[in-house]
Amino acid sequence: MKKIVCVTACPTGIAHTYMAAEMLETAGKALGVDIKCETNGSIGVENPLTKKDIAESIGVIIASDIRIDKKRFHGKPLIDVPIRKGIQEAYALIQRLLDGYVKVYDHTED
Amino acid sequence: MVIQDLITIHSIDLNLEASTKDEAIHALARILDKNQAISSFEGFIQDVYEREVMTSTGIGYGIAIPHAKSKFVTKPSVIFARHDTGIPFDAMDGKDAKLFFMIAMPEDGTQSHLKVLAMLSRKLMHRDYRDALMDAKTKEEVLSLLYTMD
Repeated sequence: MKKIVCVTACPTGIAHTYMAAEMLETAGKALGVDIKCETNGSIGVENPLTKKDIAESIGVIIASDIRIDKKRFHGKPLIDVPIRKGIQEAYALIQRLLDGYVKVYDHTED
Repeated sequence: MVIQDLITIHSIDLNLEASTKDEAIHALARILDKNQAISSFEGFIQDVYEREVMTSTGIGYGIAIPHAKSKFVTKPSVIFARHDTGIPFDAMDGKDAKLFFMIAMPEDGTQSHLKVLAMLSRKLMHRDYRDALMDAKTKEEVLSLLYTMD
């Protein structure tokens, strides 16, 4: 099964973060993709992505309204969108990675 | 279970009297005020708006979750309200909001409360759950749906 890693985060970190995570996981299930989603909420970081998770994945989805350190995703196709897109467009974001039309992230360009 | 601390029968309004986003936020906060969960109505409202300008909490799917972590919150609380026809709430998908959750957390909100909110947020992403909340006939029915955490 193809794997996609995700990070969700929002300013207060009490609701949107988890809504986006749930949508991405639900959409992943429907599309037959293994989703691992790290939530950066006010509880702290939960379900943290490991190096192995990132290495195994075909790409990364960041849905966040706060700044996320992307260095660890160097060399991976990466989609970086506001949190609302994670909630509203989870299916489309995953499909974009599956279709392979996503730019590979190069942290030296940041 | 902790959700019982956050939501009680007095935190539910099945017929929110509002027709705009501002009216809805005020009506929800009035319930908090009545429940003596906030020390300053105006202060809390201001904190809610400060959060609202970052991104609208009209998250789409007919749900709005105006919220704030605020020093004016004396009792961590969630208010649930319903509006049968819907109110414009700057939603991400343009749909009117029918289900409202106003979340009031003190600045030092406890982990257990935050975990309950995380679980509730996740449940709201499922259509069956939203439909059940819309269809519930009584406050008691709503409460038992909210208390079901699986």
